[in-house]
Amino acid sequence: MGVIITPAMVGQVVISGLLAGALYSMVALGLALIFGVMRVINVAHGTILMLGAYTTFWWFQLLGINPYLSLLVSMPLMFLLGAFLQRSMVHRVVDAPELSSLLLTFGISIALVNVTQYAFSSDVRSVEFLTGSFLVGPLALSKSRLISFAFAVGLTLFAFWFLQKTKLGKAIRATSQSREVAMVCGVNVQRIHLYAFGMASALAAAGGSLVAVIVAIQPEMGQVYTFKSFLVIVLGGAGNYPGALLGGMLLGLVEQLSSLFLTTQVSEAVAYVLLVLVLLLRPTGLFGGRST
Amino acid sequence: MRTAFRSVTGLATALVVLAGSWTPASAQAPIKIGASLSLTGTYAALGQNQHRGYQLCAKHVNEKGGVLGRKIEFVLYDDQSQPATGVRLYEKLITQDKVDLVMGPYSSAITEAVANVNEKYKMPMVAPMASTTSIFKKGRKFIFMVQSAAEVYLEGLVEMAAKRGLKTIAIINEDTLFPKATVQGTIELAKKNGLQVVFVEAYPKGNPDFSAILTKIRAANPDVLGAATYFDDAVAITRQMKELNVNPKMYGVTVGGDLPTFYQLLGKNAEFVYGATQWEVELPYPGAKEFLQAYTMEFPGRDLSYHSAGGYGGCQVLVEAIKRAGSLDGEKIREAVLKLDINTVYGGFKVDEGGFQISHKMVTFQWQEGKKVIVWPDELAAGKALFPTPPWTRR
Repeated sequence: MGVIITPAMVGQVVISGLLAGALYSMVALGLALIFGVMRVINVAHGTILMLGAYTTFWWFQLLGINPYLSLLVSMPLMFLLGAFLQRSMVHRVVDAPELSSLLLTFGISIALVNVTQYAFSSDVRSVEFLTGSFLVGPLALSKSRLISFAFAVGLTLFAFWFLQKTKLGKAIRATSQSREVAMVCGVNVQRIHLYAFGMASALAAAGGSLVAVIVAIQPEMGQVYTFKSFLVIVLGGAGNYPGALLGGMLLGLVEQLSSLFLTTQVSEAVAYVLLVLVLLLRPTGLFGGRST
Repeated sequence: MRTAFRSVTGLATALVVLAGSWTPASAQAPIKIGASLSLTGTYAALGQNQHRGYQLCAKHVNEKGGVLGRKIEFVLYDDQSQPATGVRLYEKLITQDKVDLVMGPYSSAITEAVANVNEKYKMPMVAPMASTTSIFKKGRKFIFMVQSAAEVYLEGLVEMAAKRGLKTIAIINEDTLFPKATVQGTIELAKKNGLQVVFVEAYPKGNPDFSAILTKIRAANPDVLGAATYFDDAVAITRQMKELNVNPKMYGVTVGGDLPTFYQLLGKNAEFVYGATQWEVELPYPGAKEFLQAYTMEFPGRDLSYHSAGGYGGCQVLVEAIKRAGSLDGEKIREAVLKLDINTVYGGFKVDEGGFQISHKMVTFQWQEGKKVIVWPDELAAGKALFPTPPWTRR
């Protein structure tokens, strides 16, 4: 039993897809950074997003201040946590076989989720700040999603500018292109790894703070975002930073359009079928592999 | 030595049995009722609530002199929320502890597993906390259902809508066993009440984004939206309905909508939402007030939920059946249960030939000013439904 799909409906879900996609892009950019620089797949990426969401929740709950301002707290906090994790554990597996980094970050993720459960319980929380939408003709634009979208686009553009223009950004890109050459050119690779992990965690935290005002918060919420980020960087080409941006938007659109034309049940399957197809046909990603 | 011990205990037992037949009724050994409950593990909180219901029931029955002149006593084990453990424990209860009767465990899953054990020994089991229809449709003869089935969770919503002249309904559900059964039942109920089902779609468990499905619903423009939910999805759907400006005249959810957290999370946006529940504290069932008082006295500060009332009510059913059967014989008690048509603190009890519940009513409430106001069925309603639900833009 379905309904006839009208252009207005397509417009509505395309908007939803882009709004969600921008968040995916930003979060996935973090995962791409870590993979690009260290060749480590960080399974704990979504977990850090979850911690960012809790930071926003407590900020709003205890202080009652605009939850978007909590970005100023969650991002630096998670930058520090990320840097700490890198320095204390992850750096040991940088050159180890991939399975080691998977296992390690998986372990970190389980530990952090359980500590969160212990500290904050598994009760579902939410930040009721801006609900409802702007109505534009037949379209409804969710206020909280629009604002989160704007922040995500802003932060992602800033991250790109940082990677392109600053000395540290250039060093990060150099390291992800070739660690040896970067080292020969005098880049302190250890330090770059630390910054990259911190930045990536800050991006995840920003994602957490921004989804906190949209969806319910609970200790296991991060997992989906790890999977989605992974999907995005495979679609975009692992280690390809602009690819992550496009991949995120593409994933948002694919999810929404397949939910509309097919059903919500299969939309996830569609995304993963796409993943398999990309791996089979264009293993370097839809938008080319990492530049060498 | 061991043989000697055995023959001594054997002799002692024989003596007790013989003595039993001579002593006055009150001095007889208690009737032993066995059960396993989820006191630890995933279902611990709910299993413990049910446990307190059993305990309180036994206390009350014994205060009134017991049944058949004997006191009742629960032999209880912890199944750790595991169906396999439950099966082992019911075997032990029946074969080693030699209990006279059994009561059900917590949850459909564990009930389904242990139902084969009591069936094998032809021992009647009143199962208060299983509402999956299929358990009672497998030709089993010794299991009896106490609460309403998944299929009728949205009965109140559908009937109220039909009464108010609404014509169309959309139904969405989480794609798992229980909500699926609710959808099947709701489609039937809608047909029966002359509502046209204009949209049906399932979504996967854990789905956080309902934009597309709600966009389709907005296009289908149904008078009524029924969602067969658990909890997270009930919250997310309500929130996103506001975001996408979806405005049915009535909107109801199933599981999760009755929890206080539902309102805490959604605040004002939960207003006007209908929900379904097996039992509420303020329902005017016979003995419910006394149950509530006794419960808070006996277990101060402990959680009280429909699981507690269900445990108590299920135990009431069994005791009544023993009384009417006048015996502890399994077949006779079965006959008696099948003939029962009574009200417990948990609501009506009457089962069909297969042990399937046909009298217990789900009640429908509506969130009004932060409170759950029971609005259906009429004879239990505490207030009037606020109808129609105003569009989001005018709240």
